[in-house]
Amino acid sequence: MKKNIQIRMDHLWFHYHDRVVLEDIRIEIEKNAITAISGPSGQGKSSFLMVLNRLWENIPGARVTGRVEMDFGKGFEDIHRSSLPVHRLRQRVGMVFQTPNPLPMSIYKNIAFPLTLMGEKDRAKIAFRVEAALKKAYLWDEVKDRLAENAETLSGGQQQRLCMARALAAEPTVLLLDEPTSSLDEASVRVIEDLLLELKKSCTIILVSHYMDQIQRIADHCLVLSDRRLRPDTAKGRDI
Amino acid sequence: MDFQDRVFRTVFFGASVLSAGVTVAVLGFMILLSLPVLKMGFLWEVLTSPWSPGRGQFGILPMMAGTLALAFLSLLVSLPVSLGCAFFMEILHPRGAGALLKKLVHFMTAVPTVIYGFVGVFLLVPLVQEFFAYGSGMCILSASLMLGLVISPTLILFFSESFSRVPQHYLNAVDSLGGTVFQKLRHVILPQAWPGMLTGMVLAFGRAMGDTLIALMISGNAVLMPSSLLDSTRTLTAHIALIFAADFDSTEFKILFISGIVLYAMTSLGILFARYFHKRALS
Repeated sequence: MKKNIQIRMDHLWFHYHDRVVLEDIRIEIEKNAITAISGPSGQGKSSFLMVLNRLWENIPGARVTGRVEMDFGKGFEDIHRSSLPVHRLRQRVGMVFQTPNPLPMSIYKNIAFPLTLMGEKDRAKIAFRVEAALKKAYLWDEVKDRLAENAETLSGGQQQRLCMARALAAEPTVLLLDEPTSSLDEASVRVIEDLLLELKKSCTIILVSHYMDQIQRIADHCLVLSDRRLRPDTAKGRDI
Repeated sequence: MDFQDRVFRTVFFGASVLSAGVTVAVLGFMILLSLPVLKMGFLWEVLTSPWSPGRGQFGILPMMAGTLALAFLSLLVSLPVSLGCAFFMEILHPRGAGALLKKLVHFMTAVPTVIYGFVGVFLLVPLVQEFFAYGSGMCILSASLMLGLVISPTLILFFSESFSRVPQHYLNAVDSLGGTVFQKLRHVILPQAWPGMLTGMVLAFGRAMGDTLIALMISGNAVLMPSSLLDSTRTLTAHIALIFAADFDSTEFKILFISGIVLYAMTSLGILFARYFHKRALS
């Protein structure tokens, strides 16, 4: 048994129209650790991540039942309860998508964007946190002289690190990553992996990855999603 | 290129030449018909003086002002309502209530303008008259409120179309960063949808300028320079309809062709402005 639990899921079902995508998921996810989710394509790994920040609510025909609780420092809270506005949840549960999705604005504004959303007005504080986030994502040296340029002019790998920096600027408690390194070259992959190892000190990371070697290198726990069920990857001896 | 391709190309090319040609031909025709008046040499007078046929003054300035005032005010009335409506339909409730509303708006486009005119005359005009206790109620305010309603489907459908074309990954980005729906509207949807919205606004403005029935039925048709919302006014279109119905050979009648050209020019200018701003917005 783990002592430090961040997320608890009980009887979680995910339906897409009449199709069952996730069936009766019951798991606990450890705080300040990297939990990897692997498994065949099209089995609902992305859907699983979207349960955790309630982004599934944007998908027409999707339905989730069951209980998901997270500990944001005040004990376990049901993430679906009506007193928790969904945008507050998403400010604490950051997400980086498989395909980089910078917003059509400058590099600086992209990183400052979550702070703007939270109502931060202090320019000096914003500038400080933008720089810190870009440094964390190992992007600062490459973009510090072109912060006013449109973020969509960056290369694919740089865009992915930008999205990572943007998610970090909000200082989330939980970070969801959907195959964040699939569009990156080997060197950038290592950079991101080092970043994740560093980040887990302050953040709980859930990583969807196809790469078993990557999971071996950085994950503390591994779960496999197949046949609609999420099971510990006992074959790797990394039972959670 | 095979035979079928060539036939299609020729047919489509012919269709585009025909429609562009008709537009230009209408202008040529209007200029041709207004030559007698133009030759009399008082074009400038027509454009700048008041309308008083009894004293030999045939100026259409009050009608030009009335047309612009009505078009601007109706756009002003319609804009916030249409924006809210499109946002509700496309972003807040894309299914259920929003879809139903969209059907209703589509239906609105099919309602003949004269019906809106009737509603205006029998419902809105008495209300305005009672509320302000002034005049007949047939005034700029009543006409622009009703005209605002008439052009709103154009605005709503253009706005909602522009909203729906904002790429989903931008919306996901804002959602996943914890943006509220209104932050999403302000920071991403509006800036992205702006060029399409602008086109809708120009078309709606053109529709308001070109509308005849609402102005004719509700604005009172007095030839006055508009100075207050409760003033009666006459638009160029209503003017043409009124004179046309009563006359066919006088100077008043001949001036109508100048009115037509002015209306044509005002609409074209609007479209040129929109193109310019559209390009600027895109760059």
